[in-house]
Amino acid sequence: MKRFRMNVLSAALLLIAAQAFGQVNSHTEIKTPPLRKFSMPQPKRIALANGMVIFLQEDHELPLIKGGAIIRGGNRNLPAGKAGMAGIYGQAWRTGGTTTVSGDKLDEMLEARAARLETGTGGDTSNVGMDVLKGDFDTVFPIWLDLIRNPAFPEEKITLAKTQANAGISRRNDEPGGILSREVTKLGYGADSPYARQPEYATIASITRDDLLAFHKQTVHPNNMIVSFIGDFDSAKMEKRLRDTFSSWPRGPQMTKPAGGVTAAKPGYYLVVKDDVTQANIAMVHPGIERNNPDYPALQVMNEIFSGGFSGRLMQTLRSQRGLTYGVGGGVGSNWDYPGLFRLQMATKSGTALESVEALRGEVVRMIDSPATAEELALAKESILNAFVFTLDTREKALQQQVLLELYGFPADYFTKYPGLVEKVTTADVARVAKTYMHPDQLAVLVVGNEKDFEKPLSSLGAVTPIDITIPEPQTSSGKSTAAAPSASNSEGTALLRKVQEFVGGKAAIDAVNASRIASTMNLHTPQGAMTAETTTVLQYPSTMRQEMVLPMGTMTTVVTPSAAFMITPMGTQDLPGSRKDSAVADMRTDFFHILKSADNPKYVFTAGGTEKIGDTDTRVLDISPDGGTVRWYVEPATGRIVRTVRQTTAMGGPAEMVTDYTSWKKFGNLNLPAAATVTRNGEKAAEITVGNVEMNPAVDAASFTKPATP
Amino acid sequence: MKRVMLLASLLVLVVTSAAAQDLASFEKRTSMRKLDNGLTVIITERRDAPVFSYATFVNTGSAQEVPGITGLAHMFEHMAFKGSDRIGSKDWPAEQKALAKVEEAYAAYDRANRAATNRDEEEVKRLDKAWKDAIAEADNLMENDQFSEIVDRAGGVGMNAYTSSDVTAYFFSLPSNRFELWAYMESERFRQPVFRQFYKERDVVMEERRMRTESSPVGRLVEEFLATAFTAHPYGFPGVGWPSDLHSFSATDAAEFAKKYYVPSNMVIAIVGDVSPAEAWPVIDKYFGRLPKAPQPDTLRTVEPEQKAERLVILRDPAQPVYLEGYHRPSSLHPDNATYDVISMLMSSGRTSRLYKSLVRDKKIAANSAGFNGFPGEKYPNLFTFFGFTTPGHTPDELAAGIAEEIERLKTEDVPEAELQSVKTRVKAGLLRQLASNSGLAENLANYQTLRGDWRELFREVERIDKVTAADIKRVANTTFKPSNRTVGKIESTPKGAAK
Repeated sequence: MKRFRMNVLSAALLLIAAQAFGQVNSHTEIKTPPLRKFSMPQPKRIALANGMVIFLQEDHELPLIKGGAIIRGGNRNLPAGKAGMAGIYGQAWRTGGTTTVSGDKLDEMLEARAARLETGTGGDTSNVGMDVLKGDFDTVFPIWLDLIRNPAFPEEKITLAKTQANAGISRRNDEPGGILSREVTKLGYGADSPYARQPEYATIASITRDDLLAFHKQTVHPNNMIVSFIGDFDSAKMEKRLRDTFSSWPRGPQMTKPAGGVTAAKPGYYLVVKDDVTQANIAMVHPGIERNNPDYPALQVMNEIFSGGFSGRLMQTLRSQRGLTYGVGGGVGSNWDYPGLFRLQMATKSGTALESVEALRGEVVRMIDSPATAEELALAKESILNAFVFTLDTREKALQQQVLLELYGFPADYFTKYPGLVEKVTTADVARVAKTYMHPDQLAVLVVGNEKDFEKPLSSLGAVTPIDITIPEPQTSSGKSTAAAPSASNSEGTALLRKVQEFVGGKAAIDAVNASRIASTMNLHTPQGAMTAETTTVLQYPSTMRQEMVLPMGTMTTVVTPSAAFMITPMGTQDLPGSRKDSAVADMRTDFFHILKSADNPKYVFTAGGTEKIGDTDTRVLDISPDGGTVRWYVEPATGRIVRTVRQTTAMGGPAEMVTDYTSWKKFGNLNLPAAATVTRNGEKAAEITVGNVEMNPAVDAASFTKPATP
Repeated sequence: MKRVMLLASLLVLVVTSAAAQDLASFEKRTSMRKLDNGLTVIITERRDAPVFSYATFVNTGSAQEVPGITGLAHMFEHMAFKGSDRIGSKDWPAEQKALAKVEEAYAAYDRANRAATNRDEEEVKRLDKAWKDAIAEADNLMENDQFSEIVDRAGGVGMNAYTSSDVTAYFFSLPSNRFELWAYMESERFRQPVFRQFYKERDVVMEERRMRTESSPVGRLVEEFLATAFTAHPYGFPGVGWPSDLHSFSATDAAEFAKKYYVPSNMVIAIVGDVSPAEAWPVIDKYFGRLPKAPQPDTLRTVEPEQKAERLVILRDPAQPVYLEGYHRPSSLHPDNATYDVISMLMSSGRTSRLYKSLVRDKKIAANSAGFNGFPGEKYPNLFTFFGFTTPGHTPDELAAGIAEEIERLKTEDVPEAELQSVKTRVKAGLLRQLASNSGLAENLANYQTLRGDWRELFREVERIDKVTAADIKRVANTTFKPSNRTVGKIESTPKGAAK
């Protein structure tokens, strides 16, 4: 027996050696042996009486266990006014921890074990997943369960998630590719569609903890959940554990998908002007299909011919032959339970923007007018069928497929049957589906770019609808101050600010001031006693300042610019330490005139609050979050005069409350400005200031802001 | 990783000695050979499904470029999809002549076009036309994208490549009955690469540059940042190339570059999947043995000199603020490499990381913030780089101060044992998780073999990390994170149209 085996082996080796001598001159000479038969183990499906479905897949290669719960309900089930809530919910679910363990504590506990426990919410589902070393499973499983059922959603973590979301909003116009994919989705589904709507500062601000708790209550029920585990465990034991854990959990209301959601934009040209780019980003879109469409396999073959890999028509023509683009792609898209989009995109240099639009549309027309050849069809089908083994080459993929099919109600053998359907597709099918699902005359064409560098204006192709991507300023109706700084101005706040602008001389006059030089006398109360300083302050908005104070011991000059902060004293020049610099920067940002100049900056939030009596004057409180930090103004509502300002500062040794009372205002040129003020620090008088002379837009020597060379 | 070893009572041991065990198990499943021409090939068997993945690593990246040919390593990577004399040609002898004509015509045009004095407009136009005519003629003799078509047809997935500062990598996956086809295709493209469609592809690469660098604020910042941080070493060049070089280098330049650097002794191939070494070696010998032996290219002479003064680049842009700071550190072969890795994990990995806790979670001044090694590469002394993206209303300077605070803690306080242990545990588990994918593993094995000289370093690095102490961290932080060793880069948001 043994001998026989050896013979077979040496025969095989001989065969290989013989083969090795032959010179191969073409890939066609290489023989392809049949692919080794294999069957990927399928996961075990367990249906509980309460509607929960569980899938278990053993995989003993590595000592790991991965799994989680997919829960129906996501972005599309949330109200339009709360756009962005799915993201906040999915993030704060995990970072907020459970009613018994804080999220921060979970972080420490889990990361010390290299365990992952994560939540996330997308378009139509949430996911609570875990990934642990086998030995940690017993520790992490109860936490996973606790997180699913008893999330805490503390305000603190909601605020954190909102801050992150607002950062995303503020950055969403920085990269042209990001603008393109967002706007084209809005064109494809309609801006109000649950599949396209975008978060704004206002929608983020409106999301409350109650909203999150309510959504959790609405969605997290066993009948809305699919639980799955894969890894180094024994299925029978795991099944018992999961049954014991979940069987007694009663059913809840079933989540459904909202109807509709597709209102495609009118065909035509849409333009987003972005002038700091050298490329035009181009997209074209109209509605696509749902996965259960019987033409799905034929469309996959068509997509492969149209845009599959490097050998598809789009890459061939637009990249290889014409060198117009680095990347071009797209096709008739589908989703499991709602329509996908037919969508194409590419990027090209500004000077070939229109040429590319025409070329891309030309490929759509060509797909209809010059349908696939037999050779193209064969290549596409072979590519799909030969690569099919990769859709099921790991146990994890087998599990994921079953979860997906269960979630969307497709038969469990869907993927097994799929290659047979592809096999049957003919050139006539491809020609037919191209005509049925691609409509060059119905495309909304979007271009993001620097139109003045295009070879011709976009309008030379047809009527253009400009899209304004300016990020709307935050606005809410009620400005009740909460623990966190509000992220949107209220209308009364904005109105009160306008009043102050009028009092000072009007917005135009204020905006015309780019720099000022103010000479004043300061009477300083210091621990060493009182002293007088003749002070000249040169301010160059927004963030450059030079202040000279003539003191008994000599002149002290402080300079703060965006890149430097230093002090010149009789003893020499030195950099301001970090904290002093920060407080100087904060001082500039909270300067009342700077705030008036920043009225239209979305980062400045104005919230009108209650009323208060300052001395004999009835004032209205105006809270301002000027780009970090807060200031409170007390404003005489009838006139718009600022009576007092209060702000927190860290200047001169520790945090302090600085109160400035403006005791008189006076016309300097065309502006009404403070002529005298008293400053109180933590309740103690710190300084009296009398303004002597004010010069607007003075000639400023740029060198005065640069640090003198050290001798 | 054999299941037999995982008795429940040994679990603790498994986790703590995972690296050593992984290595032992892997050595059994992995074989490596150096062919006569110097090519190194690694095969790791993973027989679950009838598929395999591979990665070819060429120990050549954009750091091998000099002024005038910046971007050429990346350009060659694109050309490696254009086929050979046997793949992609309708009539090789004729095409070869036509391509030689394109080169002649281009050289004439390029000389006239870039003439510094007495530029003859008419002559330039004439030569431009002659060059384009020659291209059209050559184009008629080729099969468009035949290389990718053959791979696609065979069921290839994930076909791509990248060029970093250190290496050029090529990879895809195929069903395992296509192994011989793969060996033919992969050897063919390096045996006799043909530079067809070179000048079209140069336009494609210009588009890549426009997309990644010119039209992206962060791309613009990074290009300026690296050009400032490195004064002598080619790590300061953009990998995609300077526009002037991209507009002028030729297929002849690319051929010379390939001849020098694409030699078997400078290449490593790792294959992972359903491949039997006994059957694979003869096939590998047959096809890759055809690559001609050639001397190994010289190592790079230039070493970045010690930085003596802090450097700063500011990009004034309508985009939101970004903050970067980089400190020079030694190459990944330095004994302190593991300590740098631990510092990076401490600062950046997960929600317990110091930058996340301080800047993101507590101060809420950053949307995210991290510190990482190996920028832009690791083969040569490189940068440890911290970065942060501000949340609305916050400035890069606030991020700088926040990062400085955390660096100061590294320098002055001992990292608590529990924190250090947590990092080490995650490194070990991270290695384990990496082993699950054929393509990821192939890339890792080829990468370590190329840059560290031995694929086993993938496992040994984990052991070295396990030995890093709090004292190591303090020492390395103090020697590295000094203002004079720092380059700062930031985007300051400036309204549209403002002076920059």
